[in-house]
Amino acid sequence: MMSAPTDKVIGYYGFPRRSVLRETRRSFGPALPLVDLDVDRGAPDSGVLPGTTCRIIANIMDNAIELGGRLAAVVASVGEEKCDRGRHAAFLLERLGFTVIESRFPATELEDRPLVYSRARLALRDKVNRIMESVVDPSPAAVGFEPCAPTHGFWGVPPHDFRILDLFPPTTHAYGWVRCVEAGRPSDLELECAIDERVPTVFFTQSFCAKQELAHYLAEKHRGLAIDCHGEMNDSILAKVEAFLKLS
Amino acid sequence: MRDVQIADCGSTWTKILDLQTGALEVITTKELVRRRNARFEMATGHCGRGRGRIYRNELIALAEGGLALVKDKDFSLVDVGGRDIKFVRLAGRKVEKLDWNLACGSTTGATLELLGNYYDIDFRLLRPSERWVNVTCGVFGMERVLEQISLGSSPEESVAMFLHGLVRNVIDFIGRPEHFYLSGGFCENPCFLETAGRYCRVSPLGRAVLLEGLKKAIDPGKGLAFGARD
Repeated sequence: MMSAPTDKVIGYYGFPRRSVLRETRRSFGPALPLVDLDVDRGAPDSGVLPGTTCRIIANIMDNAIELGGRLAAVVASVGEEKCDRGRHAAFLLERLGFTVIESRFPATELEDRPLVYSRARLALRDKVNRIMESVVDPSPAAVGFEPCAPTHGFWGVPPHDFRILDLFPPTTHAYGWVRCVEAGRPSDLELECAIDERVPTVFFTQSFCAKQELAHYLAEKHRGLAIDCHGEMNDSILAKVEAFLKLS
Repeated sequence: MRDVQIADCGSTWTKILDLQTGALEVITTKELVRRRNARFEMATGHCGRGRGRIYRNELIALAEGGLALVKDKDFSLVDVGGRDIKFVRLAGRKVEKLDWNLACGSTTGATLELLGNYYDIDFRLLRPSERWVNVTCGVFGMERVLEQISLGSSPEESVAMFLHGLVRNVIDFIGRPEHFYLSGGFCENPCFLETAGRYCRVSPLGRAVLLEGLKKAIDPGKGLAFGARD
């Protein structure tokens, strides 16, 4: 007998343990689509968080509240691989009535996956998208990607507004948390702070994100450019990055 | 023959250079906005998009303008505008660091001008203040000025304190160098220059630094330059 069609989905954010994602899918329905709640999906402002909240955390809340009853469960990354605000979001979602499964990525489960996309000659937007997709599907790419020597660096997390990524040439290497995700080591602070000193690098964070401390420190140390942005990029931020890429 | 003009269209002031005559026209950007058909060979600045046949990034124009005007090998150059602060540091005549203060600290230049207009302050005569207020941004800084006036300070002293706070922001933003070159309207503000001089040496380059950068970008060999068209 065929099961009735459903519009239910499983939400997740950050980089949950693969075993927790697997178990959640088994419990709530292996066929249910997985939805990354970190990403801007155009959900309206839910108004449950202060305006001075990291835009990614606000996306999590806004997306969850818009999906409402469609969310069978939320797999919430609340350990060192995410941040306190991610942990607080899980707390709030639970009190709003969502089924929340917390995940903390232990050091014993850190992987050592090859850095294919981070170092590939590939549009930075594609790089980041493919790396983030590896959270739920870590299988190797069907086609090979040639590594390239880096001309520029992008350090940070996937931005709320991806337009900044389109400014970079395809010879840009990805560093920071994005690289940690590809390596399967989302809480590895050493790897997160490892960059190529010879490469002019933009250190990006969302405004009101704890990673601003790292970005500021690394940009000062390596003469890079620290950028933070709340919500959508404006022309001035894009122009600043454009100037850095051209003049460095 | 039609004039060939390039323009730096800032948030509050627009600088227009006629490349044939060398005449520099400085107008308020509110006037530029009313000139519906104002178009230039090349433009830069916050309000320059869509007004130039070619648009040039402001930071790039600033860096290239600095290289055109300054002969030092190593130098810091800052443009303090109405809306933001742009900064480049060159080492061996190559850009070593750049930054653009967009959010916190923004619109402080424009706010100072608004305060000056409101209190009828002649910035040519304004005396520097030993004291300062924290100018986190234009709005917070204005609140501090209103507070000082309510406590009995004169408008002149209060606005000079705002200006002092702005100077401190600029110097912190550019890494507290021993010397820097200044671009923008504050080059014509003796109170700003004297206040900044308390902290380091300042060399004003005037209001046309970004235009110098645009001039440098126009390649006569490609037919873009001076008198190239009727």
